[in-house]
Amino acid sequence: MLSAMPLERRLALVLATLVLGSTACQRAGSCTGAYCGTLVIGAVGEPDILLPPSTQEGVSRDIDEQLFLKLADIGLSTNTIGDEDFQPLLAERWEWDGPLTLVFHLDPRARWQDGQPVTASDVAFTFDAYTDSLVASPYRAALRRVASVTARDPQTAVFRFREKYPEMFYDAVYHMRVLPAHLLRGTPRDQWRTAPFGRQPVGDGPYRFVSWKAGQSLELVADSTFFLGRPAIRRLIWRFTPDLMVATTQLVADQADGRDQLVTPDNIGRAAAAPQLTIYPYRGATYGYMGFNLAANGDTTQPHPIFGDRDVRRALTMAVDRASLLKSVFGDYAKVPPGPVSQLWWIWDPEMRQLPYDTTRAKWTLSSHGWRDSDKDGIRDRDGQPLAFHLLVSSVSTIRKTYARLIQEQLRQVGVQVEIDEVDNSVVSERLAAGKFDAVMLAWQTDPTPSSGVPQVWTRGGFGRSNYLRYDNPAFDALVDKATSAATRAQARVAWRGAIETVNADAPAIFLFATDNVAAFHKRVADVRIRPDSWAALVRTWRIPPDRLIDRDRVEP
Amino acid sequence: MTAWLVRRVAASIAIVFLVVTLTFILMDVAPGKPMLGPTERLVDPQAEAILNRQFGLDGPLDVRYVSYLRELAHGNLGLSFGLRRPVADALAEAIPNTLLLAGAALLIDFLIGLALGVYQALRVHRIPDVVLGNVTLFLYSVPTFWLGLILLLVFGEWLGWFPVAGMSDPILCPTVSSFYCAVDRLWHLALPALTLGFVGAAGTARFQRAAMLEVAGQDYIRTARAKGASERRVLLRHQLRNALLSFITLFGLAFPFLLTGAVLIETIFAWPGMGRLATDAILRRDFPVVNAAVLLASTMVVAGNLVADVLLAIADPRLRVRSGGGEPA
Repeated sequence: MLSAMPLERRLALVLATLVLGSTACQRAGSCTGAYCGTLVIGAVGEPDILLPPSTQEGVSRDIDEQLFLKLADIGLSTNTIGDEDFQPLLAERWEWDGPLTLVFHLDPRARWQDGQPVTASDVAFTFDAYTDSLVASPYRAALRRVASVTARDPQTAVFRFREKYPEMFYDAVYHMRVLPAHLLRGTPRDQWRTAPFGRQPVGDGPYRFVSWKAGQSLELVADSTFFLGRPAIRRLIWRFTPDLMVATTQLVADQADGRDQLVTPDNIGRAAAAPQLTIYPYRGATYGYMGFNLAANGDTTQPHPIFGDRDVRRALTMAVDRASLLKSVFGDYAKVPPGPVSQLWWIWDPEMRQLPYDTTRAKWTLSSHGWRDSDKDGIRDRDGQPLAFHLLVSSVSTIRKTYARLIQEQLRQVGVQVEIDEVDNSVVSERLAAGKFDAVMLAWQTDPTPSSGVPQVWTRGGFGRSNYLRYDNPAFDALVDKATSAATRAQARVAWRGAIETVNADAPAIFLFATDNVAAFHKRVADVRIRPDSWAALVRTWRIPPDRLIDRDRVEP
Repeated sequence: MTAWLVRRVAASIAIVFLVVTLTFILMDVAPGKPMLGPTERLVDPQAEAILNRQFGLDGPLDVRYVSYLRELAHGNLGLSFGLRRPVADALAEAIPNTLLLAGAALLIDFLIGLALGVYQALRVHRIPDVVLGNVTLFLYSVPTFWLGLILLLVFGEWLGWFPVAGMSDPILCPTVSSFYCAVDRLWHLALPALTLGFVGAAGTARFQRAAMLEVAGQDYIRTARAKGASERRVLLRHQLRNALLSFITLFGLAFPFLLTGAVLIETIFAWPGMGRLATDAILRRDFPVVNAAVLLASTMVVAGNLVADVLLAIADPRLRVRSGGGEPA
């Protein structure tokens, strides 16, 4: 019968079927009231595994935040010193039993999603796993000052520390998400990296795992029996995209409800122009810089022929107009950092002493150190060697690539030649580890405290770890030691300020940006509060009021 | 024919083995190291060293190569450290997605391309031929990713007629379990398949037009007309059939694309296929996934060529293998 129809009619019939089919696909949901709601998050990338000690991937951490609880969590202030700003989660309370012993009392209502109670044995098991070399957890180093964790009774976990320091409580609770011992004990630790549990996790958090379609999406559903209160938004769905542009387009086209970071002014502008979206700026955790390799390219035993000279580094720093670069790249959505500092850190202080933007002084310093344009080719030289270097940049970072080009131009104006080497991340990592570079564009995503990042990136103790620039100043190291072991926040602040100003004076890097994060979420989502260190930490308190529900909120899972 | 086939298959296996070996070596000597975690997070060298050992990334090249071949012989493609799962599982999920996209794109490509090519050849040098010639030339010149971005912008973001990314609606259709969700999948397939299909069809149309015109001047076409055959019969039985021989070659070349995917389009439309899988793996230096993707791609290329040769031999009596088992004439 179909073949008897004219071609046009046949085509119309097929099209009508498709349209009707897709319309019918939007089957009406029946959910009403305060506990409906579906939040679709446009994610760039995909989790590698949903087993907290085994991953540092951003999307994994966001999802783990909903599945696995910590004993307590940092507050909106992100104050890491002492315990007064921390909020109870699995632990309903805690007390200090002497200077080195911290006792947590678990909430007796806490349950794993298979019905088993959460016990102190789970806490001890978790510490054991996080510090087991076979698990190779990236958080292991952060727990080095915790000597042991034991279960005094099913509801009481006891932490013993090796030494007393201001961030003991932070270390005890921030790095570890408590794991179900009864479900993981049977898996050999050296196989945790690919454990099936990590693709179908059972947690104790506000949301339960539902499904994970590789490369596409992952769904969680609210645990209506969650002991700290039923989450108001019923379904959380992450849609995975490989690219920020695609994720933003999904958001703007109303095919996703939110994104935690829009990154570029262009994306922020697109989201701000979308009528269904609200923009939420919050403090960023990232700072970026152009770092100078203080050791010779490929030979860490020799000083770099250009950057080994502190005055030359200072001159190059003064030759770069950081404020105008920031405006060009980020618009209003970042700040010039007062040193190697992210906005997340409580030590952030724009009044810290820094080198000024002063091209006259920069030129004078270079000339006085023998770097003059003797052959009039526009590039300074000394003893026949041009003042030229290669700048290593990740080819996947638009921000850093743009910065590199702008810096290249600014330095050219003071007679310095910069060759940009754009390579992919794996090559950047390899060359950094081998010290095979002159200068590099880097960015770090930080924890809430400077106590872990600064020593690892900027002190001698970071050699062989993340101090790729081989910056080494014993005075700075001493100030960092003093800051991390200070008894009070005021003492720590003074020491940190001294340390950061020391780095600024030594100029091992030009500190370029500290990001403001900008999130966008659908207007119908209410009570959106974003904790700067982890945007997803408070999602369980967000809600979609009944009068703002749309079709996709009502669909039954 | 059998002896020729056996020789071709043996040569194909040797080629695949060579490609896989070269890839294994080149990936090892190429700059860059396996990315075991995000680049903007602090590195714990001890943890990195342990993971390198656990994923078998730390031994000498020859030991790793022998181990790889041994595992491959047992059908084990290894573990992906980027995906934290067996490579075979990841491929098993990506291949059907790529088959769907590439199959739909090839269908659009060949149906539209063939039809346009024939239509243009029948109206050669007339206005429809000139207009279509310019349109197909324009489309053929357009980079696929650019066309994809334009379609995405216009039909996805501005008009909202099609989804901008993904394979299915995660809210309504977490799994394809109903007719409606199958339609939803077609709806998601539309933009990426049309992007790939249009660009391919432009090339196919130009190819097919040229083939049709070349055949039109042959003696047997004149003979057919002289014998009083209808124009329809001349077109379908004589002209189109002979012009299709080059079309089969084209299909053989396009065949590997069915499994290797379209890297840029899969990225732009967030289509979770082989292209995206391989690209991510290359950027992370996820050797097991890269090796498996190359193994698959090279197998498809040699298989595609083999299939095309066999099809040509079947379709064209002049190309049939001589009975002595030698090369096709």
